[in-house]
Amino acid sequence: MSEIERRQEFDALTRRLRPELYRYAFWLGRDRQLAEDVVQEALLRAWRAWGELREADAAKSWLISIVRREHARTFERKRFETVDLAELEDRLPGPGDDPEVAEMRRAIFALEEQYREPLVLQVLLGYKAREIAELLEMTSGAVLTRLHRARAQLRDALGVQSPDEIASETSREERT
Amino acid sequence: MNDKTTGVTGDADERPRRPMSEERFEALLARALEVEVPEAQARQPAAPRPQLRRSALPRWAGLAAGVILVVGVVLMQLRPPVGTGNLPSDVIAHIRHEPAALVRTTEAVSPEEVDRVMLAAGVRLAPTGATMTYVKLCPFRGEMVAHFVIQGAAGPVTVLLLPNEEVPSPMPVDEDGIQGTIAPLPDGGSIAIVGEPGESIAEIQNRVADAVRWRL
Repeated sequence: MSEIERRQEFDALTRRLRPELYRYAFWLGRDRQLAEDVVQEALLRAWRAWGELREADAAKSWLISIVRREHARTFERKRFETVDLAELEDRLPGPGDDPEVAEMRRAIFALEEQYREPLVLQVLLGYKAREIAELLEMTSGAVLTRLHRARAQLRDALGVQSPDEIASETSREERT
Repeated sequence: MNDKTTGVTGDADERPRRPMSEERFEALLARALEVEVPEAQARQPAAPRPQLRRSALPRWAGLAAGVILVVGVVLMQLRPPVGTGNLPSDVIAHIRHEPAALVRTTEAVSPEEVDRVMLAAGVRLAPTGATMTYVKLCPFRGEMVAHFVIQGAAGPVTVLLLPNEEVPSPMPVDEDGIQGTIAPLPDGGSIAIVGEPGESIAEIQNRVADAVRWRL
């Protein structure tokens, strides 16, 4: 394959995946400028290693893992030790015209990374628990636990009932 | 990342919990995660231009100035063409991308922050006597470079230190109401320096260029 063809192939793939990569990077770092920088640098690294990718089907996970590593490297470089939540909330994207979306974004922002990341991988990127477990190097069981806790925390933050609460309320109403 | 935020807090437990179906909750979650992607991200070429980076230089290059010179010449020979990118236009576009850097201010950034960025960018910067009001490590044409702003007589003066952009001689920059120059540095690479029309760019350029040394 010629250099031009390689570049075209890489361009086509990354153009398609770039929005997802950006959103993933954004929810990892919770900072728009940082996300742009991380994606840019990750794509540079990906391009350098493009020839090493053997399976086209694995390209998305491969790019996600590069973004993930680049994010970790950037944070190490910046030596961010703590994150001020109030300051982070200023970096939230505009809520648009839907207050529920804005409320949910604030709640996701406030999740600890250990809960936020698997949730983003599952909901935004469509990964199954097993795939998340591979990427995050943990067991599928641990991933499922974190996903469950992440949703529970979001429901708490939004003040909405869990499926169990809804079911028990329904059965109570049926009895009375 | 050591994140000390500890989950979700607030007065959620004190208010009555409203019902929300699982389907609606999941749809809301998905919509919330789909943050807007900046237009610049969507428009950027996906494949960064392949370039050699300073960090690719072999470690032994620091042993002798003669060897460094040879390596530099070799790298220049091997370096792929810059491609379609126009360096002055890319400099202007980059500056426009960070409008916060162009604020007229007297508030200096901390020396620690300057040191941190310069170290990451592979630069040793001796004191220039100028007040630096902005400093950031920025991606530029596929590499991370030092981007800083000093306050000149006519307003903010932006400087980019470009370790892998070679120009044979000073190159004028004059676009979009911004003027300046991109000039070769004695140790290789170049310095892009731009400001408001009427700024003493040459004087600032000489001062900063004399203060820049690349780390090997």
